[in-house]
Amino acid sequence: MEKEGLKGYRGAAKEKLISLKARVWGDVVVDTSRGEFRGIILPRSETADDQHIVLKLHNGYNIGLHIETVNKIEELGYRKAHYKIPEKSFPIDPDKPKVTLFGTGGTIASRLDYRTGAVIPAFSPGELYGAVPELVDVCNLNTIKLYGEFSENIGREHWIGVAKAIAEAIEDGADGIVVGHGTDTMHHTAAALTFMVQDSPVPIIIVGSQRSSDRPSSDAALNLINACRAAGYGEIAEVLVCMFGPTSDQYDLLHRGTRVRKMHSSYRSTFRTIGERPMAMVSTSEYVPLRDDYRRRRKDNLKVKLTPVFDDRVSIVYYYPNMKPDIIDSLVDNGYKGIVIAGTGLGHVNRPLYPSLKRAYEAGVHIYMTVQTLWGYVQMFVYDTGRDILDLGVVPLDNMLPEVAYVKLGWALGQTHERDEVKDIMLTPIADEITAREPIDGYLVMQGGLPEVKEFFKSYKR
Amino acid sequence: MEKKFDPTDYKMKSGLEVHHQILTERKLFCRCPAGLYSTEHDTEILRHMRPTLSELGEYDGTALMEFKTKKEVIYLLNRESICTYEMDDTPPFPINQEAVDIAIEIALMLNCKIVGEVHIARKQYLDGSIPAGFQRTTIIGVDGWVPYKDRKIKVIQLALEEDACREVSDVGHTITFRTDRLSMPLIEVVTAPDMKTPDEVADVGRIIGDVLRVTGKVRRGIGSVRQDVNVSIEGGERVEIKGVPRIPDFPPLVLNEAYRQHKLLNIRDFLTECVADKDDFKAEIFDLSDIQGRIRHRLIKKAVERRGAALKGVALRQVKGLLAMETQPELTFAHELSERVRVIACLDQLPNLLHTEDVSVTGLEPEDLDLINKAMNLADEDTGVLTWGSAEDAQTAAQEIIIRVQEAFDGIPNETRQARKDGLTDFERILPGPDRMYPDTDSPPTALDSERIARIQKGLQPKPWDIEKEYLSKGIPRHQSKRLALHPRRTYFDRIINEYDIKPKFAAWVLIDLCKHLKRQGVLLEELNDDHWNKFAELVADKRIFREGIATLITYMADHPEEDPDDFLAAHHITPLDEASLETAVLKIAGEHKGIKLQDEQNWHEVLMGFVMKEIKGCARGELIWETVQRQPR
Repeated sequence: MEKEGLKGYRGAAKEKLISLKARVWGDVVVDTSRGEFRGIILPRSETADDQHIVLKLHNGYNIGLHIETVNKIEELGYRKAHYKIPEKSFPIDPDKPKVTLFGTGGTIASRLDYRTGAVIPAFSPGELYGAVPELVDVCNLNTIKLYGEFSENIGREHWIGVAKAIAEAIEDGADGIVVGHGTDTMHHTAAALTFMVQDSPVPIIIVGSQRSSDRPSSDAALNLINACRAAGYGEIAEVLVCMFGPTSDQYDLLHRGTRVRKMHSSYRSTFRTIGERPMAMVSTSEYVPLRDDYRRRRKDNLKVKLTPVFDDRVSIVYYYPNMKPDIIDSLVDNGYKGIVIAGTGLGHVNRPLYPSLKRAYEAGVHIYMTVQTLWGYVQMFVYDTGRDILDLGVVPLDNMLPEVAYVKLGWALGQTHERDEVKDIMLTPIADEITAREPIDGYLVMQGGLPEVKEFFKSYKR
Repeated sequence: MEKKFDPTDYKMKSGLEVHHQILTERKLFCRCPAGLYSTEHDTEILRHMRPTLSELGEYDGTALMEFKTKKEVIYLLNRESICTYEMDDTPPFPINQEAVDIAIEIALMLNCKIVGEVHIARKQYLDGSIPAGFQRTTIIGVDGWVPYKDRKIKVIQLALEEDACREVSDVGHTITFRTDRLSMPLIEVVTAPDMKTPDEVADVGRIIGDVLRVTGKVRRGIGSVRQDVNVSIEGGERVEIKGVPRIPDFPPLVLNEAYRQHKLLNIRDFLTECVADKDDFKAEIFDLSDIQGRIRHRLIKKAVERRGAALKGVALRQVKGLLAMETQPELTFAHELSERVRVIACLDQLPNLLHTEDVSVTGLEPEDLDLINKAMNLADEDTGVLTWGSAEDAQTAAQEIIIRVQEAFDGIPNETRQARKDGLTDFERILPGPDRMYPDTDSPPTALDSERIARIQKGLQPKPWDIEKEYLSKGIPRHQSKRLALHPRRTYFDRIINEYDIKPKFAAWVLIDLCKHLKRQGVLLEELNDDHWNKFAELVADKRIFREGIATLITYMADHPEEDPDDFLAAHHITPLDEASLETAVLKIAGEHKGIKLQDEQNWHEVLMGFVMKEIKGCARGELIWETVQRQPR
């Protein structure tokens, strides 16, 4: 009773409530030295201080009252809130494709957590149907909640778990897979699934939202609808990220899981394909491939090539000027087996690191070079520095993105520690993590203020 | 309108929501400059709005209704006035503390109780007027009051919130907004429905405006103030008339809304006579595609032939007469239906419906009526409504017509209405309830400690009604006291009457009445600074100039701000005269004009006064001169 009755309150505020015989959800009149306030006592966020009581006024606003000002609380009634997304049973239409939606967390569908004041995901098909009724027109949806983790807490075990679950669902005849995911590490998971689940006969679409679904302007519904379309009807049977193309509510882009990166901390259009074109545009009315070099949906063999392994003794070292060798040393001393360097320019680090890199190599650590410029290739022959580093046993990874290199090295080390075998895995692209050539429209970062950009900016709904 | 409709007969109640932008350097939740307006835009974005669940797990009625309209929302963006926060692509920065201080100050001026901790809420607006779909807003104070007549008008709350976009156009399914005003900090003052007549609403609006202006921290100018007027009558419901910029517009709008509610209650009674119970009311939607090609009415013909519109019919059973019943002067219940269709089905080309009760020349012709009656099986007691548009919109329209008639059984729907220029109102949307409030999970709560409130309390301007009382007690007439209380030069005025031997009543007359008169005459009073006025006060206090001469003196000073007013007094022989010198001077002037011929000898003293004043005006008190003049024989 007390636990529920004082939800989220602690310390002085909790004592105050107890001493005044007040409880959460009580409809009360609070007499304070600043005057009288009427409302319902709400649970307190656990991260907020212990000096205030939260009241929901009858006009819907919340306010806080400092406990030192509170003299008396009189309870007039009790009104507990039941936050629930309306559930409706999801209708089955045999003519529509079967899509399996795996939940790992994120804000595709969510509700408010009074304890922390943050949003937590809600997920059942009934809830999703309640929140995004348009899904019924797209597919038959089967939802499986695997995890309820924020993006930053997703890692090795989740990748392996999702990969296995996907393989199983595909064998069970799903026409497409959707994975709901927090956006921060969505591109890591996309890379991991690309490596772990190969030769999929159906699309595997990873989707999230940049504005949680508790806001009217959320991108969640459109992303989810488009992801289900891409999974259920799309021709591209690969691991793809499906997120807003422009910040406007127009269409999503499908990005290959190994070339995609989150590029803005908060924009809707944060996911961009780096160094290539995205795979397709998908909207509620269209599905337009932008490339034709993709694996097509097939119906003959429902097996996937599943390799659900990962050695997490791998680190990314983001090089900066003045870096000391002890950074490398400490990784080696702590038992790390793989290092991905995000080097400057064409793939460089400073001279003082050389002995440490040599030591690491000799200790059996696998060292790979990528570029922190994100766009472009590692090219270690242009300068002497590069050649020196190559001589230390550092292997250049062409235009593989640092995060993708991290994921791939962990996946490779999960299979073997033989230097040549690891190198072979790393340098043999599975899905464009290394591309043979950079197309001339692969690097497009426009700069504001230029006359031609202004012109474009004016006419284009971004 | 019925003759002598008096809303007090129907226990009308009215309250106000005053939105006033406050004067800050930057916006409320980002660092964009405040008050930078432009009609230019660099780019645009497109969004849609979806309803979400409230904190207590319910959908808000307005939200659902607006979702039905399926609007594409376009925002025009100017890179100088907005950043990625306003376009909802960046989370909020910490709330602008300058704005919080101003809001606390205004809350204290309105005698509100200040909250202990500020919680930011999201107030949902699905009309697109805010790209996020919600307005960030927070309560600063509750439960205050302003004095009015012999009572107190309750101030329910004072909120600090961000302003919304400005609508540029709303055509069909596309609504376009300009974003320059978006996120400007404003305060919202909400009064209880304590006003009983249309005029009281305007009076209280003025009082609140006065309090806000006296702080000197609110913005002025077009668009800086918008007021919502809430009206209900006994048995009615709260209806909000949104965004009325001018206070003089309040009384007619309030009166008309009270009248509309009165008429809607009559309509409710009419409906219960036609159909005993709301649940027994029958209405049907007909797809009239079979007959739409044969309808001869010009509007339908045009829509069907040129635009490929689909025609829908709604049969309203047993309620004949309903649509022709008056709701507002010159408007009938059909207007209520048409408005819902316009807003919710986005059929904004008016007229957007025709009905079988319209017997005017623009109504349906007998041949059409026959067709329609047959197609919808209309009996004598039934009414038929036709609406047209794209198949989807026409269907939404037909459904909405039925919903609105069903609502009429209950009386008055809770609505937000928009003011028209003619004092009538149109439907805007269903009035939102508390369910649209949602805590802002992006912003932590902030404590308002007692030291901060004490500091603001200390610097508080006196309240206008207290100042007015003070001036009244000094013998200053009421109209001047009222104006003085809000006068930008009030503190200077107080200093003058304290430091110089000048009667407050006289000083008030100079500042309020005389200055107004001189301004009208085109005198450039803005040329005068404190030094000028100090000099002026000194001359008056030393009795070197009298009432009758000061207009001339002030005019001279304004015309020659660089010159010494002493020179002017000397040049115009304005030197104070004692009684003996005055007697001599008047005697001399009387002698010079002895020979004048008068039509009426009775007027001698008035005529003489004229000559005297011409020469010695300002040299002595007017009353004294007049007494002296009256002693002069013809």
